[in-house]
Amino acid sequence: MKFDFQHCIRCTVCVANCPVFKVNSAFPGPKQSGPDAQRFRSDDGASIDRWVRLCSQCKRCDVACPYGVHPAEIILREQTRYGAGHFRPLPYRLFANNYWLGMFNSLIAPLANILTPRGFVKRVLNVFGISTVTPFPPYRFHSMNRSWRWKGRRKSRKRVVFFYGCFINYNRPDIGRGVRNLLASLGVRVVIPRQVCCGLPALGNGDMETARKFARKNARILAGYIDKGYDVIYTCTSCGLSLTQDYPGILGVPDGKKISENSYNLHEYILKLMDEGYIDPAFAPLHRRVAYHIPCHLRALGIGYPAARLFERIPGLEVHILEDNCCGLAGSYGFKKKHEKTSAKLGADAARAIKATGPDALMSDCGACKMQLGYFSGIPALDPSEILRESLKPGGDT
Amino acid sequence: MNAVYDVVIIGGGMSGMMAAVTLAGKGRKVAVISKGDPVCCFSTGCIDLLATGGDPLEGIGTLPDNHPYHLVGKDAVAKALELFRGIMSEEGVPYVGDVHANRGVLTSLGRRKTTCLVPETMEFSDFDPDEYIHVISFHKMKDFYPQYITSRYPNAGHSIFDPGVITTPGIAEKFENRPFLESFLSWLGGLDIPEGRIALPAVLGKSLAGDVYREVSAGCGRKVFEIPTLPPSISGLRLFGGMKNALLRRGIDLYWGRGIYSVEKLGNRIEAVTLTSQGRATRVEGTAFILATGSFVSGGLQASMDTVTETIFDLSAYLPGGREGWFNDDFFAPGHEIEKAGIRVDASFRPVDTEIENLYVCGSILAFSEVMKYRCGHGMAIATGVAAAEACGGLAQ
Repeated sequence: MKFDFQHCIRCTVCVANCPVFKVNSAFPGPKQSGPDAQRFRSDDGASIDRWVRLCSQCKRCDVACPYGVHPAEIILREQTRYGAGHFRPLPYRLFANNYWLGMFNSLIAPLANILTPRGFVKRVLNVFGISTVTPFPPYRFHSMNRSWRWKGRRKSRKRVVFFYGCFINYNRPDIGRGVRNLLASLGVRVVIPRQVCCGLPALGNGDMETARKFARKNARILAGYIDKGYDVIYTCTSCGLSLTQDYPGILGVPDGKKISENSYNLHEYILKLMDEGYIDPAFAPLHRRVAYHIPCHLRALGIGYPAARLFERIPGLEVHILEDNCCGLAGSYGFKKKHEKTSAKLGADAARAIKATGPDALMSDCGACKMQLGYFSGIPALDPSEILRESLKPGGDT
Repeated sequence: MNAVYDVVIIGGGMSGMMAAVTLAGKGRKVAVISKGDPVCCFSTGCIDLLATGGDPLEGIGTLPDNHPYHLVGKDAVAKALELFRGIMSEEGVPYVGDVHANRGVLTSLGRRKTTCLVPETMEFSDFDPDEYIHVISFHKMKDFYPQYITSRYPNAGHSIFDPGVITTPGIAEKFENRPFLESFLSWLGGLDIPEGRIALPAVLGKSLAGDVYREVSAGCGRKVFEIPTLPPSISGLRLFGGMKNALLRRGIDLYWGRGIYSVEKLGNRIEAVTLTSQGRATRVEGTAFILATGSFVSGGLQASMDTVTETIFDLSAYLPGGREGWFNDDFFAPGHEIEKAGIRVDASFRPVDTEIENLYVCGSILAFSEVMKYRCGHGMAIATGVAAAEACGGLAQ
């Protein structure tokens, strides 16, 4: 990875794929901030490229590059270097610790949910550099870590650990409990151990140390289960990317490789069970027309679109796959005042593309995409697992 | 994950994408694996068939006997291009032109490029040299200098508009915004341009190009045409975008941004390929495989000092003699011998010199295609992509 920038032939395909570059002319684009600038950077020298912070880490350039260069990864390294050597404004510090923020808001959920939409609170947040265009998601007291921690037959041949991620934990635990019940109904033993944030928000906000702390803690827990024959299941594609690519990669977590090799996207795992003949689920017809917004990080996972392959088996379900737009929120990127305009423009564009397909709902695996696109389109935003549950009717409380 | 397909296509360029669409049309379950966005993104978006004097389709008859066009046949080439045009109109990027007539397209260096099918936005690019051409450029736009054109055509002028951004994707994005388009049109209306055609770099919107183009044409009441630009080439990206949407619409699975890590063989058959990954490799299993990885520029072929290798299945590649015979002394002369390097195939697009039974090859990786010499890039990719898919469709059940 260290020298892969040398393979860049300057074809600019990454630039053409960059959502930020398209709408914010202050960002020089992935080619210039990635491989081009990398030739002038030195590990010993100070990081001076202020504009690397304009990159949202959507990884579209990594996917587009036909020559094996990873501009986003080069920029990410520089972002963390820049973050270590410079003052990090409040939003960067706050969102790096999104896990603690979520935990606090979940504890005082009713109060937090009443306060955040208020005008005066918004003004205070704006003063601190936090954008309030896309509303903060409501927090739930009955979070995932306060839910039932196991389900399914104890002696089951298929055993998994569910890595739910912060969005499901604090904001949409109903999705998480649904996934738990769905897997159990397919004959899988599900265990939900105590876990912390995957570390991606800290990494994206230039705080390598916090990211490593979170990652090491998770790695200890997950590796213990993997050694006992469990697989790791994730639904959030950004958590998934972090587990499978950043843990063995930039974060250099011990056991990172083991975690990467044994982690599965939920839908990928269900397909695997079907391929192995372990299950043969009966998909009930659904008469719906749904737009499936592919999260940038699902593209970056390089596993294809497994949920779409499951939807093909649901009679009556019409799915429109949209993969050319980034929702613009990119985790906590769009919640920063500095990126507000970029994020809003991208969100509006993506919402327009969704509405053009005339759907009754939109779907995305990623929590941030759901928040942003639900807000900009006014259409209910679902998780793909919710559609699956509608068809497979696993029952259970959510 | 174990994904099972009827046909797995390796290479997401023009040839691979056309093969995918053809097979999906036959009801096959298809996957396309690409290590990144293809070369057609850098192209002009025009479809070159064959740069001969008059009729490119008939010109196929004059090509050497081993050229891949002969494996397809003239009628099938015409049918494949018709299929391509149908797909692109459906995706809102219609093409104009006639397979029996070449046309010229003005490039950003002021030269004319010989091609066959062109996007509707370049329909009027084939102008009479005596006609007045007014080139519109953009303030500080990268890699586009109207003087290259006006210095070649004495009967041409130019004006410069300031869009506030300097990059092609940035300007194209602005054109999809109504207030911007209106301010541009009112500026254009205020210019005193002599009777003639208006030319702009290809930045009239990215996905909504047709609408923007029609509005600009109607707004100035002239024949308007776009000039393809250097990469990022918006007209090339429209071609790729249209094709990719056609794949998604047909339920074709895309595995993008990943190369092939390993190939699993059982006897004389390829069972599966696995994709490069940090952790567990994704395994893609298929009944038949199509190799459409392109030639040197896209990495399908790799040259060392004295040999040429095929990068995925290690097929034996045809080599035009030793290295001393690979190149002409004149770098810009068409037809360096090395262009003939590639994979030789039989009449059903299966590679010769190999034991493998369920592999088909199409696109510019084919031996003797000599794309630069004959200027037949996209045309040959489309024709052989469709033909290889037809050949393989019979086998894969």
